Amino acid sequence: MSTGTGRFLKHTGNSLKGDRVPDIFDAQDLEQKKIFLILATPGMIRERNIEIIREISARGYHTVVITTNFPYSILTKQYTQSGIPKECVTFIDAVTRNSIGSAENIPGVVRYINNPTNLTDMGIAVTEVLHEHSEKKICIMYDSVSTLLIYLSSANISKFIHFVTNKLRLMEVSGIFLAVEKGLDPMLMTQLTTFVDKVIDTG
Amino acid sequence: MERSDEQKSNEQKSAVETGILDNALVMIAVLGEKGRIVSWNHAAETITGYSQQEVTGSDEIWKKLYPDKDYRRIITRKIDGILKTKNFFENLETTILTRSGESRTILWNTKKIPDGNLPRTIAVGMDVTNEREAMAFRGSIIDNAYVLIAVLGPQGTILVWNKAAERITGYSPDEVIGRRDIWKKLYPDAEYRRTITQKISRIISESNYFENLETTILTKSSDRRIISWNTRQIGAGGIYHEIAIGRDITEQRKAEEALVAYMTEMTMRLKQPVGIISSTLLESAQMVKQGVLTTEEIVLVLEGQARNATQIAANIQEFQTAIVDRDRSIPEAYRKFLEG
Repeated sequence: MSTGTGRFLKHTGNSLKGDRVPDIFDAQDLEQKKIFLILATPGMIRERNIEIIREISARGYHTVVITTNFPYSILTKQYTQSGIPKECVTFIDAVTRNSIGSAENIPGVVRYINNPTNLTDMGIAVTEVLHEHSEKKICIMYDSVSTLLIYLSSANISKFIHFVTNKLRLMEVSGIFLAVEKGLDPMLMTQLTTFVDKVIDTG
Repeated sequence: MERSDEQKSNEQKSAVETGILDNALVMIAVLGEKGRIVSWNHAAETITGYSQQEVTGSDEIWKKLYPDKDYRRIITRKIDGILKTKNFFENLETTILTRSGESRTILWNTKKIPDGNLPRTIAVGMDVTNEREAMAFRGSIIDNAYVLIAVLGPQGTILVWNKAAERITGYSPDEVIGRRDIWKKLYPDAEYRRTITQKISRIISESNYFENLETTILTKSSDRRIISWNTRQIGAGGIYHEIAIGRDITEQRKAEEALVAYMTEMTMRLKQPVGIISSTLLESAQMVKQGVLTTEEIVLVLEGQARNATQIAANIQEFQTAIVDRDRSIPEAYRKFLEG
């Protein structure tokens, strides 16, 4: 595991809408299917989410977003506003069904799970989505570890992340975990940093 | 008939001796053959309750002072044993029964004295009952103290190892007293032992004692206990001992660690989620202003965040319960409040 701190550099290439795209990742790291923990302030975490998807989409990756806070429908609008093509992203939505009770999966677009703590359903959904996009370069983004703290103890979060990172490595898929910076206690932070390959503090 | 100067001198000497005998603060008995009482001073009368007239000329007093046959036999054998090798004994401690039925502890010293051709022994008995009781009381306090107490003699030899020391470490006084190797047993890791020793040496060289030095010992049953040590130098007359008092703070430390863990977990599981709820609502408000969200989506967001807030409240209750369960010292009123 290595760490990157401070504000990340931005470059002007590979823009989908001609905007500046954040250079958070090394292309080589993504190629090597590395797993990242990305830290951001609470106010910036949504912006980072969008910047990350922009960057990795520009690098030719299809992103599977596991969302535990904003529902799929709203995130889609945000991504569209930010110029991210819909076809670059698939969602595993752990919010909508929890609120409205039922929602039908849309193959290739969104899969719903009942709530963020149903880790078994989440695992099944991930496996199915990866299968649907098996021909693509995939990167899974978990948004966010911090929201999970509402529903799970840090010990269970640690077990969950361990389980997911192992699964990603077995499936040879890149993974990104988003979390609010300075919000994880030293013990959990230490555990998480041992599970991932790189911690990037984007501020 | 007029008395000679020598006679006068002997009479004066005898009067002085009688005065000394009678006014001495210790029992003094002059014994003839087979323990027959020749002289019995005032202190002996006071301590035993038996008058000089009652005891003089016979050895019956010993049966009265030691009415228990077995005990008397033990004492007699002990005295006989001593007298085989020397014609006196020193600091022989016995317990007598006084006329009033009270037990007194007497420390005896004897010496043979010349009195013409007659065999005479002077027995001096000091009543040490109060000192022994005080000593036993002090010993009892030390022994029954809730903290580990160890008294170290020169070269670190253990002189005292109380019940708490045995309870905490698992090592009995028999295994420890008179030896120096207990520290190797309590600190079997040579590196840790060296660190502790260096630390103690440094503190001692600066202030002769140390306070609240925390170390982790390994007990006989292989448990680890955290001990907070305090030492003092005690003694007088050039003989000094170190008294080490150790308080087992293992449970206290565990409780503190648990409390820190609870507080940290609570902070993490409150601060972050509340921050996220706040950001989500602000972002949603922005999107509502922009007219991006449908009514259904607005409801979805609000319900989701309300659910998150409810879960946070449940988490707080869970933490409160955990803290109440963990810390028994919380006052009742606060306990009820925390229990909700």
